[in-house]
Amino acid sequence: MARLTPKLIYVLVILAGAVIVAGDHLTSRSLSGLGAPGDLGSACAPCGAPCTDTDG
Amino acid sequence: MTATPLQTDASPAAIEWVPALIIGVVGLGLVGLVALDTGLRGVTLFTLGGALGAVFIGFQYGFASAWRRFLVAGEAMGIAAHFLLVGLCALVFIPAASLGLAASGSVAPVSVSLIIGAFIFGIGMQLANGCGSGVLFSFGGGSGRMLVALPFFILGSLLGSFLLPTALGWGSLGQVAIAGDAGDGARLVVNMGLIAAVGAAFYALGRRRGQTAPRQVLIGSVVIAMLCWLVFIISGNPWGITFGFTLWGAKIAAGLGVPVGDFAFWQWAGPQRALAHSVLADVSSLMDIGMVIGAGLLAAIGGGLRRQSWPSSRQLVAAALGGILMGIGARLAFGCNIGAFLAGIASGSLHGWIWFVMAMAGSWLGIRWRPAFGLSR
Repeated sequence: MARLTPKLIYVLVILAGAVIVAGDHLTSRSLSGLGAPGDLGSACAPCGAPCTDTDG
Repeated sequence: MTATPLQTDASPAAIEWVPALIIGVVGLGLVGLVALDTGLRGVTLFTLGGALGAVFIGFQYGFASAWRRFLVAGEAMGIAAHFLLVGLCALVFIPAASLGLAASGSVAPVSVSLIIGAFIFGIGMQLANGCGSGVLFSFGGGSGRMLVALPFFILGSLLGSFLLPTALGWGSLGQVAIAGDAGDGARLVVNMGLIAAVGAAFYALGRRRGQTAPRQVLIGSVVIAMLCWLVFIISGNPWGITFGFTLWGAKIAAGLGVPVGDFAFWQWAGPQRALAHSVLADVSSLMDIGMVIGAGLLAAIGGGLRRQSWPSSRQLVAAALGGILMGIGARLAFGCNIGAFLAGIASGSLHGWIWFVMAMAGSWLGIRWRPAFGLSR
């Protein structure tokens, strides 16, 4: 049985990650443009957080 | 920041062909998917993420170790180089409108959550031995420690997204742009003056202690700044890392049946859109994946993957704990060392400076905890 070296785990994670990313991409709604969460709404932070009542 | 570059004396025989081939094929496959939906812009940003990964691992450019060396040994040149990077980015970020760029900087609220989050992040980055960028490029380079830290970073980031809406209610002054009422020119002068003053203070401190800035670190700062300019111009926003982690965590949790969409954070317009679409359609997530591919390719080509080993179990616990703390901290504080410290200060936002001070304070505490996990101070 192969030893669970970081290199082996790493390669397996990369392969699994690629499958998950491709699966997510192919099953998600199509979006022709790239987005960042801060672009939408009246975001007050890069993560898309809105301005709160206490914000100036 | 260490001064040792990725080993470049490796002979061609040192190339790890199988991992290099796998990473290359994965990268090309993802480029194909990106090209189909978001075209040249998406491919360019993915490639820029790859270039950043390769540059960071090639120059071993990091924040956590430089801050630790400053706090433990008084070595100030690493932080001076960070402010060189910040200053170069500010030259483009702040006058973006005057330069005719359809891009805006990163300005976030000055809030209680920022103060707490940045402090927590600082502790975490010392326990995990890497910050947002450090965890990602080291993971890309096959680091055993980061194979543990990254999943916990993602988990912490998801937890942070659940906490943030409540934390924002703890108090906030709103966004505070330094010299925000002045024109672009005056804002640039004031902010560049601040950045230069702080950077020069660290430099002078280093010189007084007989230290010199390693040329490799200075070159790394310049190259990374140029890549950040390109990211800013092409994406319309400064480079950020941790929202991608938050999105990955939410996607995984949703896949496991967690009603992620019911949480307030994921009902905000931006996160909601990101959750509903592909992980390749969000700039941060896309560039994070590119960064892993770029760092992985360079590591495989340089024979770096086979040099990786598992740290002790105590150190792996520290990596997990550090990852969780950084994840929560990054969400509460609106980003990590890249999205909040670099992008925030370079955008002229007060929150970036507060992040720097609080993360430095958290680092001070994290360094004192490191021996309990078998880590040197």
